[in-house]
Amino acid sequence: MINVKDVERNYQTGETVVKALRGVNLDIGKGEFMSIAGPSGSGKTTLLNLIGCIDKMDAGEISIKDEAVSKMKKKEKTNFRRKYLGFIFQTYNLIPVLTAYENVAFVLSLLNVNEKEIELRTMAILKEVGLEGMEHRRPGKLSGGQQQRVAIARALIKNPEIVLADEPTANLDSNTGKEILELMKRMNKKHQTTFIFSTHDQMVMDYADRLVILHDGQIVSDEKR
Amino acid sequence: MKFLISLAFKNLTRYKRRTLITAGAIAIGLMMYIFVDSMLQGAEIESVRNLNWFETASARILDDDYWESRFQKPLDLNIPDPDKIINTLNVNGIAATKRMVFSGDLILNSQDFGEDGNMAITVTAVDPERDFEVFEFGRTLSEGRFLKPGEDAVLLGSWFAEDIGAKVGYWITIVTRGNGGFYEAMDLEIVGIVNCPNPNVNRSLVMMPFGTADEYLAMDGAATEINIKLPDNADVDLEVVKIQNMLNGNNLTVMSWEAMAVDYLAIAESKRGGSGMIMFLIFLIAAVGISNTMLMAIFERIRELGMMRSMGMSDKEIRMAFMLEAAGIGLIGSIMGITLGALANIFIIYVGIDYGFLLRDMDIGYRIQAIFRGVWNPGTIVSAFFAGIVISTLVAYFPTKRALKMDIPSCLRHQ
Repeated sequence: MINVKDVERNYQTGETVVKALRGVNLDIGKGEFMSIAGPSGSGKTTLLNLIGCIDKMDAGEISIKDEAVSKMKKKEKTNFRRKYLGFIFQTYNLIPVLTAYENVAFVLSLLNVNEKEIELRTMAILKEVGLEGMEHRRPGKLSGGQQQRVAIARALIKNPEIVLADEPTANLDSNTGKEILELMKRMNKKHQTTFIFSTHDQMVMDYADRLVILHDGQIVSDEKR
Repeated sequence: MKFLISLAFKNLTRYKRRTLITAGAIAIGLMMYIFVDSMLQGAEIESVRNLNWFETASARILDDDYWESRFQKPLDLNIPDPDKIINTLNVNGIAATKRMVFSGDLILNSQDFGEDGNMAITVTAVDPERDFEVFEFGRTLSEGRFLKPGEDAVLLGSWFAEDIGAKVGYWITIVTRGNGGFYEAMDLEIVGIVNCPNPNVNRSLVMMPFGTADEYLAMDGAATEINIKLPDNADVDLEVVKIQNMLNGNNLTVMSWEAMAVDYLAIAESKRGGSGMIMFLIFLIAAVGISNTMLMAIFERIRELGMMRSMGMSDKEIRMAFMLEAAGIGLIGSIMGITLGALANIFIIYVGIDYGFLLRDMDIGYRIQAIFRGVWNPGTIVSAFFAGIVISTLVAYFPTKRALKMDIPSCLRHQ
């Protein structure tokens, strides 16, 4: 489903060129629950960003669903993300002026789904992530775990093929982190959505069905469990 | 679109104080615009009315060569039989009156005025029985009475009388040259003081009966001008052509008030230009304020922006969201602005601003004696309302464009 081939990504910091990814090759199948692990600066987030079509690579090719996303123009990438990709962020990135319901529903309004269907699907997904009765709360009135549940609902509402999560539990305590991971895994099983998440937390790695370890921009281990 | 409007509206309430301050800046700009526009339009309308009522009338018949030599006030460039022309005009339903304008020296004696002296003046000789049909001096008498035909009397403008210390009952002597160049001295009693809304008239008016001047200056009934009053809704230029045709040449020309007041119109035009510049600066300041607010709003939400772009929101949609938010600020500012502008308008229309202290000694071009009053101008209020919204919306474009130049990972990392 996802094919990453000889991908390189360099960053220029002053006169120094930092090689964030050095010829990464990876194949990810549909419905995988995969973790990309490694120390800080190993290139986890960069790889996620490239798969998520929000960054540009310097060399190599990425194709998703047989489409060469690396060759897409900006507008095409935007449309691709809109249709097929969901994102979960470490800091949730919810819109503070919108309620939990609105934070989730807006994704469907971008896809021109009708109001009635938006309501049905949003209520359903919020119930699924355990936020029934909290639809009208704004992010400021929700705990970190609840906010991340909203973010998961937001990522999943459009039934994306792939969900990319960058350190989704890093801002949560271990118990809440476990709950979130269990929720993600449940969703993975139920919807057959491919989950790819970056982490450097052992507990999170233990939940993954496949663990890819990066070091200095190269894959040093790729283990299926 | 519904989501974008909802998001924009909710973001407006996010930083209420900032929204209100920026909207307040727009509101003050719009209020100033409405207020100044009202005052200038009011001043122009009143000036034109006061020009027509006390200086130029609607139109004037002159000898063909008079206008070019008008500063010398020549008596020989005259209209020999003005009454015949006035009768013709009256038959055609046009009100008209003859006048004779000449220059002279006003001799002041120490007995009445405290010290001896003389000064150059312009004297206007009017037909006391018909002048009111064209000019509006009837309601402007502040002291004494109006002129009677054939008497040796004058009316003075109030500021002029005040400047020379003249009072009703005093006598003045005017030395001038009659038709043909002979010297003539006229002793005239001040019978009234005129205080009219036209400062130029107040500052310099010396008015005497036509018949008296005719006799002293040997004009044989000739006038230097015939002043014409046209209805308010008349097309002056068209009427001027009609009257010109009616005169059949006779070495006479008809001038509209606009042709005679060309200097005033040029001043009014330049004032409008200057005011336009002030308005532009006010709007520029408001625009910078909005731009700054939007810049802060956008840069505080860079991560949010990164999230929205990741989710597949296009740059166009994001730009639209921020521009709608700015439009919302503009809408609030416009509503506040036209409300404040309307209140300021009520004040300037019904109370006005007294510039008498300034206009007493200084001619600023407007024919207004003291109080500047405004007028309602719905067009200005409507255009101010929309300008507030449109300018706000447009200035938000640039900071949004700048923010959208950042790549998505940088947006998501932004602290």
